[in-house]
Amino acid sequence: MEWLSNLVGPDWARAVATFVGINVGFVVVLMIVAYTVLAERRVLGFIQGRLGPNRVGPGGMFQPFADLLKFIFKEEITPAASTRFVYFLAPIIAITAALMPIIVYPFGPEVSLPFIGKFHLVIARFDIALLYVLGITSVGVYGIALAGWSSNSKYSLMGGLRASAQMISYELSLGLSLVGVVLISGTLDLYSVVEQQGGWWGLRWNIWDFSRVPQIIGFVTYLISAIAETNRVPFDLPEAETELVAGFHTEYSALKFALFFMAEYVNMFTVSMLATTLFLGGWQGPFVTALPWLGPVYFLLKVTFFLFLYIWLRGTLPRFRFDQLMNFGWKFLLPVAILNVIITASVMFARSWFGW
Amino acid sequence: MSTLLFILFGALAIGCAVAMVAHRNPLYSAISLIGVFVSLACLYMMLQAPFIAAVQVIVYAGAIMVLVVFVIMLLNVEEEVRRPARLHYLIPVGVILAAILTAEAAFILKLPGASSRADVVGPQASDVGLTASIGAGLFTEYLLPFEVTSVLILMALVGAITLARRTATPRLAASPDFDIEPPAPSSESGSVIQPGDTEATGQAYAQLQIERGEAAAPDAGKEGES
Repeated sequence: MEWLSNLVGPDWARAVATFVGINVGFVVVLMIVAYTVLAERRVLGFIQGRLGPNRVGPGGMFQPFADLLKFIFKEEITPAASTRFVYFLAPIIAITAALMPIIVYPFGPEVSLPFIGKFHLVIARFDIALLYVLGITSVGVYGIALAGWSSNSKYSLMGGLRASAQMISYELSLGLSLVGVVLISGTLDLYSVVEQQGGWWGLRWNIWDFSRVPQIIGFVTYLISAIAETNRVPFDLPEAETELVAGFHTEYSALKFALFFMAEYVNMFTVSMLATTLFLGGWQGPFVTALPWLGPVYFLLKVTFFLFLYIWLRGTLPRFRFDQLMNFGWKFLLPVAILNVIITASVMFARSWFGW
Repeated sequence: MSTLLFILFGALAIGCAVAMVAHRNPLYSAISLIGVFVSLACLYMMLQAPFIAAVQVIVYAGAIMVLVVFVIMLLNVEEEVRRPARLHYLIPVGVILAAILTAEAAFILKLPGASSRADVVGPQASDVGLTASIGAGLFTEYLLPFEVTSVLILMALVGAITLARRTATPRLAASPDFDIEPPAPSSESGSVIQPGDTEATGQAYAQLQIERGEAAAPDAGKEGES
């Protein structure tokens, strides 16, 4: 973007470029999330032996727009005894914390466009990208806790407390399973992590890279923690319909409920992108160096695989009881994640000490 | 550009801090404190300490404040009652002290001399705040304080769990001839109340209260009501 730098100065040029990138990313993520909702309903239908929604448009393709119209026109009911400011703030925190991490994920290698020049396909690239994602995930707990409390209803409060307790418990094993990847990559920058997974015809992913330490245990613990973190089946007791009416979003209607709903699916999308980037090689794949625009295609395929996995699990598994959930998180998953860190560090140390 | 961002984040931090002190509802104070921490993290980022910024968000805003918010929610801390201000003489004292503070700050920042800070140009690029630098220092030069701090945190954790633990109630051992069937009610005592007969239970309890003299018998005209 040389012409823009010469026009307004390098700081403002970078700000404009990042702003445009954020907008594009925002729109793309929301469209993908809308179609994930549709895909979930269709795939769940097929798993359960029925068709999902297929009336609105060919194969149900315009169903998300119909849902959006419905949400906009629904009546907004605010419970009378709720705390007004916090009641309005909670879905805002939830959706903001869900959308903020998308700026650090690399979608593709360095590409060049006619007017813009060469650029890496990542919206913002900085040193502590992984810590940033973990920080925003920690702040996302507030959306649920405040929603549960401010609705002033016992179902919401119980659902909110349970959901936030579950989230903060599984954040630990989430963070620890990522430490293995950081150890073998030596950097917190997600673009560098993806770049290092480029050998073997683009298939030298962190999950089966035997020249460094393969992160299989880390991958499995990360996946389970991510499913618990996003409150999906089998860890969705806080929002189970048969248990707590609708959990922390019982008292929310129309557009605020749509924000929570979207926040859950954006969270799903975000953790799928993180799994892809760290464990499955991001945009790496065969022939990416020759055709750089193949990178985003591979990325999207891998993320779609994870989303399909989420939906598949939802259609297949029963849900955990809350004490089983907490037991599993603290007494099994956290020790296994710590074990992964110890094993990775020991193997790396042995390799450097003995020169294997 | 950096001046603009500094003014923005500084104003946000000060505004949230004032809101935290001024609010009567404790939950709003907690949310304002979260705003302060996030603004401080942005300021750290501008001072080229990205690791500290991230750790501030993860630890302070994401863990400690979650604990505080949980405590406020679970204990249902009430909103403070607005009391009339009584110590009116403190207002001029506060104004004079604020003026003295401002004068001191202006003296340090603006007047020329060895202690003047006005000629510091701006943040220079440095490597101290990067994660790699902090990691290298933490595991080589500052290893002992690091390990001692982790033992300290472990002590706090064990202490908290010990204090909060409920003493176990002794479990009664089941006798070997424990049978599962409840004893069959004998048909002689006709006034055995089966669980579930709420109306009958209520009337029997009322009868018991009248016999014990704890309650007066209802009027004769009200006998027809159930």
